[in-house]
Amino acid sequence: VTLRADEDVTTVTCVSAGVRSLTSRVVQQNDDAVSDVMLVKMENPFKEPPKGCVLCSVQVDYKNVQLLSQFISPYTGRIYGRHITGLCGRKQKEVAKAVKKAHSMGFMSVTHKHPQLMTDPNICGVKLLV
Amino acid sequence: MPRYELALILKAMQRPETAAALRRTVETLMERGAVVRDLENLGEKLLPYKITKHNERHSRGAYFLLDFYSSPEILPGFLNHLHRDVDVVRPTVLKKDAQAPSSTNCCGSAQ
Repeated sequence: VTLRADEDVTTVTCVSAGVRSLTSRVVQQNDDAVSDVMLVKMENPFKEPPKGCVLCSVQVDYKNVQLLSQFISPYTGRIYGRHITGLCGRKQKEVAKAVKKAHSMGFMSVTHKHPQLMTDPNICGVKLLV
Repeated sequence: MPRYELALILKAMQRPETAAALRRTVETLMERGAVVRDLENLGEKLLPYKITKHNERHSRGAYFLLDFYSSPEILPGFLNHLHRDVDVVRPTVLKKDAQAPSSTNCCGSAQ
């Protein structure tokens, strides 16, 4: 088969490779059908449940000295900042307020952490000198 | 009526004297028209810091929690009475908010 102008090429392809073009068109249609199926709108099945802070479902109370002592320094009794505790805004504020309340009401020491509570698990990930 | 909570720290005393002090407090409260709901004993503990009250330095105290309903007008008078009581080391009245904080409402992770 001699190829001359574009028309010829197209005609040639149409004729000789007519089957091919047809099949390719069919394949394209199939692709569309397949892609339509793939793009059905649904919620992301791999979505992770929303992460909350450590105290998400815990009520913070000024009487709960053990809980509050986990967020203060054992050496100085200072309240750790948000970047250390990893709490969300609301809970950090609640903890800070509860600690101050406990200080003023005579429930918790200001300058240190109660020695019995020193062995509590470390939430804030602070490395202490043993 | 609003609901209040009294965190009472009494001097470390013998049982009959502690009972008498508590009785005095509750009766004062009831005289002024409050309704006492609950009285909890949180035990006798070492105070977190030494407290000086009524010319006496306290290192141990008996912790009590008193729930009551009352009108807000009696509170200043009641606190005054408590401050004058020799057996009381530190009285604190707090308002109790009966909120049910929705836990699902809280935060996405801060970091």
